[in-house]
Amino acid sequence: MKKLLTGNEAVAEGAIESGVEVVTGYPGTPSTEVILTLLPQKEKSGMHIEWSVNEKVAFEIAAGAAWAGKRALVTMKMSGVNVAADSLASIAYSGCTGGLVIFVADDPGANAAMPEEDSRYYAKSMVVPMLDLASQQECLDYLKLAFEISEKIGGPIFLRSTTEISHVASDVEIGKKLKLEKREARLERDIAKYTKAGAAWCMAQHQDVLTRLAEASKISDSYVTESGIKVNEIHFEDDNKYGVIYAGAVEGNFREALKRYNIKLSWLKIGMVHPLPEERIKKFLEKVDKVLVLEELDPLVEAEVMRIAYLLNKKVEILGKFDQTLPITGNYSFKKIKNGLEVLLGVEMESEQDSKILERAKEIEVKRPTSFCIGCPHRGTYFALNKAIKNLKYKKDEIIITGDIGCTILGMNKPFESCWTEVAMGASIGLAQGFKWAGIKKPVIATIGDSTFFHAGIPPLINAVYQKVPLTIIILDNGWTAMTGFEENPGTIHLSKTNNRRVDIIKVCQGCGVEDIHIIDPYQTEQAIDIIMKAIEYPGVSVVVSQRECALQAKRRKIKLTKHKVNMDKCTGCRICLTSLACPAMVFHPKDDQNKAYMEITSACFGCGLCTYTCPEGAIEVTKDAV
Amino acid sequence: MQYNIYLVGVGGQGVISLGQIITNYAVKKGEKVKFFKEVGMAQRGGPAHCEIRIGEIFGSRIPPLSSDLIVVMELAEGLKALEFVKPGGIVILNKKRIYPIDLMTHPEKYPPDKEIALLFKKAKAKIIWIDAAKIALEVGLPIAENIVLLGALSFLSSFDKEFIINLLKKDIPRELDKNIAAFNRGYQAAEGMTV
Repeated sequence: MKKLLTGNEAVAEGAIESGVEVVTGYPGTPSTEVILTLLPQKEKSGMHIEWSVNEKVAFEIAAGAAWAGKRALVTMKMSGVNVAADSLASIAYSGCTGGLVIFVADDPGANAAMPEEDSRYYAKSMVVPMLDLASQQECLDYLKLAFEISEKIGGPIFLRSTTEISHVASDVEIGKKLKLEKREARLERDIAKYTKAGAAWCMAQHQDVLTRLAEASKISDSYVTESGIKVNEIHFEDDNKYGVIYAGAVEGNFREALKRYNIKLSWLKIGMVHPLPEERIKKFLEKVDKVLVLEELDPLVEAEVMRIAYLLNKKVEILGKFDQTLPITGNYSFKKIKNGLEVLLGVEMESEQDSKILERAKEIEVKRPTSFCIGCPHRGTYFALNKAIKNLKYKKDEIIITGDIGCTILGMNKPFESCWTEVAMGASIGLAQGFKWAGIKKPVIATIGDSTFFHAGIPPLINAVYQKVPLTIIILDNGWTAMTGFEENPGTIHLSKTNNRRVDIIKVCQGCGVEDIHIIDPYQTEQAIDIIMKAIEYPGVSVVVSQRECALQAKRRKIKLTKHKVNMDKCTGCRICLTSLACPAMVFHPKDDQNKAYMEITSACFGCGLCTYTCPEGAIEVTKDAV
Repeated sequence: MQYNIYLVGVGGQGVISLGQIITNYAVKKGEKVKFFKEVGMAQRGGPAHCEIRIGEIFGSRIPPLSSDLIVVMELAEGLKALEFVKPGGIVILNKKRIYPIDLMTHPEKYPPDKEIALLFKKAKAKIIWIDAAKIALEVGLPIAENIVLLGALSFLSSFDKEFIINLLKKDIPRELDKNIAAFNRGYQAAEGMTV
């Protein structure tokens, strides 16, 4: 049976078909939808599925389940592997008994605006095999294969996706659910395997992990999946000395180009990117004289192809990133792959859109920086924070505000332009301490969201208390992991159908030793300004928790506030409301023949009421009918 | 055979839901489909776009000069679609501007509608103008702008009208009558413009 599934949905389907019992992860675009797809099936499937507090914890839970003999899956985006890396290296060397698959989604093209990190390096540095996904069908097929390999070799394995695979829906042939024998949870005490106490054990584990890697290569090399996909595949075209070696999401555009321009050439598809199928690459290079390597991000495969060509002692011309035929940055669109093939074959294939049209379009394009949603509580927090700084007689450009990951970072954009830095989960609190020790005399403020605080903000907070760093930390607590699509976290109030226990941020801060803790409502501007001013002036670590549920989630839960409207008689069209808040529910109407200039608040208003505070004329009023 | 549809606009306009409806239609019609959606920042007032590819295809993204149909839900965002116009292909231009923060106070800096249309004309597209917001307002459902455009594109793509209306009946739980009215008005508008 065929079904239209996105890559991430196909991974979720693969998890069910593989008989996975424990699924953990932390939200991160483009990986999030695997768990989002599985969560509603939690009861029915009997799986344990959770959003863990961060990727390291998620990975450890999955590994624990796999050490106890169960099949476990952990999901994250590439940045998450950085967080999990410490445990990953150790557990990779120890191996596992139950199947353990780490699903990681990279983001070439930085669609979700993060470093374009190439997670394939982790496979190399941690001696873990990695399957690289080239289609949505492979998402399902390779996940099943990954569990098979993991259990055969007795070690974890990576399954790597990219945005173009994870976020595209395509026909996927659904398979059958594996019939696994029921497994009792059991861990054999084996300290030579599960601890690192002693150089001899560590060396032995290192040898074991190398052996497992070689075995993974053997299993995958000529493997054909249920739906007929060959993990590694060579196609030779007679009398043609041109070849392409490719891995990952480039497959679709590469095949499309072959068909569209009726190109015949030899190709080698690589499904397992670590370790590479060395013998196959040799065989391929023996037959071709000029090769184009297609892979997104860093030239990992290309470098290995060069090494193998060198060992063959054969002159093969290798095109790719080293010779700058193709760029390292960005995702590989059809156009880039077509350009690569043009260089390989020395022909021009097809004209593109008239460059004059595209240049003019670029000139007049409208930049659309992301901003806060209508009713977003963060708008109120940054508005009050900027006012507090002004009231304390500081200039805007002399107060460093470190920002963090998630919706809260949108405070860096207009109209607030509050945040100066964005680094990594929890980093706002650590960086801020560095600024103080460097000798910044003026107050330093860190802003961070609730989920980000739980994820990695607590250790730097403890450090600040311990080292007595004068610092103001503003936790923008909207109750959800909102940026990635409203996942729950330990602070979420309205836990849907779960029995999880809520963790109170205030008590966490108290427990960490913070003595100056305040709560504000970002919709109550005056009060919020006063409290933030006090917190900034406090000589030690002060924490302000700005509490209001994400407006989009509140709306979904049918929470209704009274909307606002503009009293046309009073409005002078000064636009102060708009320039201070940039609320998308506001529309400015310039002066025309019939009307004076005026503001309109559309029916999209959520009712946060911040605009009433900004209007010098008192022209913004509450509507009579609560909506 | 390939049929490529490119939809572009701003988060919140229903760009992705429109793509989802078209995708469901094509799947139910037994076609092979690939559906790419740009998600992530769109909800926060950022650009949103999706691509639906129907037929014998490998790549998930539409190659340059290959869109049979483009729907521009927000005018300036439409500039991004120029690269993909197939000469002789159809472009539906929705009369809609959504100002980003910088332009909210200076709407005069927004590129003139005429110039945007001219660029599509230079790219050899057949242009269909639709004021979907006005039509949606007239049927009493302002949010149904994307359904008005669904009607228009269904006519222009020769989709099976009754089939797609039946799909809407199944998939749209609320305000069904108004949604169907929006669809029909969009369909008629496109019909009227090409006769």
